[in-house]
Amino acid sequence: MRIARLRGEPEVSVVIPVVERYGDLRQLYEEFAAELERLGRPAEFLFVVDDSQRGALPVLRALQEESAGEILIVTMGGAFGESAALTLGMEKARGETILTLASYFQVDPRGLAGAFDALERLDGGADLVVGRRHPRIDSTFNRLQSRLFHSVVSRLTGTRFHDISCGFKLMRRRVARELNLYGGLHRFVPLLALSRGFTVKEIPLRQRDEDRGTRYHGTGAYLGRMLDILTVFFLTRFTRTPLRFFGLLGTALFFLGFGIDLIAVVQRAVADQGLADRPILLLGVLLMVLGVQTLSLGLIGEIIIFTHARNIREYRVAEVIRGAGGHRPREVPQPEAESKKAATAS
Amino acid sequence: MNLSIVIPLYNEEESVDALHAEVTAAAGRLDREYELILVDDGSRDRTAEKLRAICARDPRVKVVRFRRNYGQSAALQAGFDQARGQVVITLDGDLQNDPNDFGLLLRHIDEGYDVVCGWRRNRQDRMISRRLPSMAANWLIGRLTGTPIHDNGCTLKAYRLEVVRKASLYAEMHRFLAPMMSLCGSRTREVVVHHRARRFGVSKYGLSRIWKVFLDLLTIKMLLGFTTRPARWFALLSLPFLAGTLLAFATSVYIHFAWTPRNGYPLVFPSATLLFAFAFAHLIVLGFLAELIVKVGDFKESEAVLATVETGGPHADRQTAR
Repeated sequence: MRIARLRGEPEVSVVIPVVERYGDLRQLYEEFAAELERLGRPAEFLFVVDDSQRGALPVLRALQEESAGEILIVTMGGAFGESAALTLGMEKARGETILTLASYFQVDPRGLAGAFDALERLDGGADLVVGRRHPRIDSTFNRLQSRLFHSVVSRLTGTRFHDISCGFKLMRRRVARELNLYGGLHRFVPLLALSRGFTVKEIPLRQRDEDRGTRYHGTGAYLGRMLDILTVFFLTRFTRTPLRFFGLLGTALFFLGFGIDLIAVVQRAVADQGLADRPILLLGVLLMVLGVQTLSLGLIGEIIIFTHARNIREYRVAEVIRGAGGHRPREVPQPEAESKKAATAS
Repeated sequence: MNLSIVIPLYNEEESVDALHAEVTAAAGRLDREYELILVDDGSRDRTAEKLRAICARDPRVKVVRFRRNYGQSAALQAGFDQARGQVVITLDGDLQNDPNDFGLLLRHIDEGYDVVCGWRRNRQDRMISRRLPSMAANWLIGRLTGTPIHDNGCTLKAYRLEVVRKASLYAEMHRFLAPMMSLCGSRTREVVVHHRARRFGVSKYGLSRIWKVFLDLLTIKMLLGFTTRPARWFALLSLPFLAGTLLAFATSVYIHFAWTPRNGYPLVFPSATLLFAFAFAHLIVLGFLAELIVKVGDFKESEAVLATVETGGPHADRQTAR
């Protein structure tokens, strides 16, 4: 299939991080490019290659030579991981809409039309459309992993997503600008977007056969994921109020310890049971100490927020409407920048 | 601009038109140039539509719409960020406050107070479920923060713009607005205002989660007193553990000398001594860490202090505003 040359600015930027493993990049490019062209959406493709996957470069360079379409290859100097790759790709993207894809076939390109429709429909389009591989055709083991992961995530964050780690995400540029991904946060893009006040929609997409292979990870990877979930839980709920997080934990530990020791002391006074030879006294003291240490770390957190982020506003403005018609939707200056101005003006 | 009126709204489609009419009528009688800032806190009903309609016919109105619901503190902060008047008045979006009290608040601002808080002395709410807990909370807040206000939950308040610019509200800080505002050294005054029972819908902001309030209070307490000298604050926090260390140590010494052991000395008290000593040392060290954080931060005490500059004598014409 021939891909036509891009005229003018692209409307869609397709960001493909080549980080962990990659499939047939040529076929991936050709199928998605063809589908985007069929839909009449001028697109550019950005392949962001991690240093660990340099093997993909010859294929991509050949593709760049042969194809008439717009292809950019961004190579990262080190193994910085998927979050870095996505951020880099999104920064270089020129289109108003950004599509991210995994570097192998996860979903069928024919779902694109539906995704664009969900993003742009007039009665409340979304800011971010997440693909959900449905029905799942891969191994029971994969499905079980995914089920477990998502049940923990939804328990902790109170959201209902079925496949947040699916690489297919279609978003408006303003979402990409506010995400600020690092570490393992690329898996939680929908949650981060939600906490920033964006509308997120999940759409079912047909899973491709290429995505079937069973994925085993080392114990370290699973442990890392659990920590990532906790990070997201913390970041989306307690960034502005760290003491609420540490404080709840700390006071709970403290009062547990206090209660234990109180019972021990009462038993000593009333039931004539020895105090000095009971190890449970130590457990109580230990818990109290731990509680205070946790709480005090929360206080440190509050000091950090107060002295470094006083002017960060937690709210996000959708629009400011001025009286008598002066109406400007879309690009509203977000409060961080604005508050600085306000501070100097007064 | 003389006066900014800030009203947070959350699902108030029934009351918003009546609110606009009442507020503009009351503000019109004040004979001051004013603006009305309505903050739509991510309403899910038809509030936004109604606000658009109001905007289309009233040039003094400015509407800020949030992407989602962020809570009253954020809504008030957004209103403050937009406010351009020398005095800012805030009130509830559910018509429980009486806009006719504006004059009373403004009179006290003109007398030289920086913050004037409304006090709903005759609250039209249920006694047990709403008034008693709020009385207890207000008493506690007053005791801990040193700003004794009877009614921290009343949104009807007036501020001088300079005070508002010094504050930063987030999470559920709106419960402690008066103490927060007193961070910069403002003069606070309380006046009795009218209170009306809700006409529409149900109450949306309640004193529901006690522990959150308590932790926020702890934060405020810390920010109020010791942001600029955290080492001292942490030292204060460590005192109970110093006491615990000494007590446990004394006990173990006493046991060592007074007891005739049958099968060795009990290790519990020496261990407790060590644990308490650990906690004590931990807090002291954290205090230094906190000092370091404050030192490298962008917090300047001069920015947080409300100061008046008075000039007189031969250069009085070069009078500086504060």
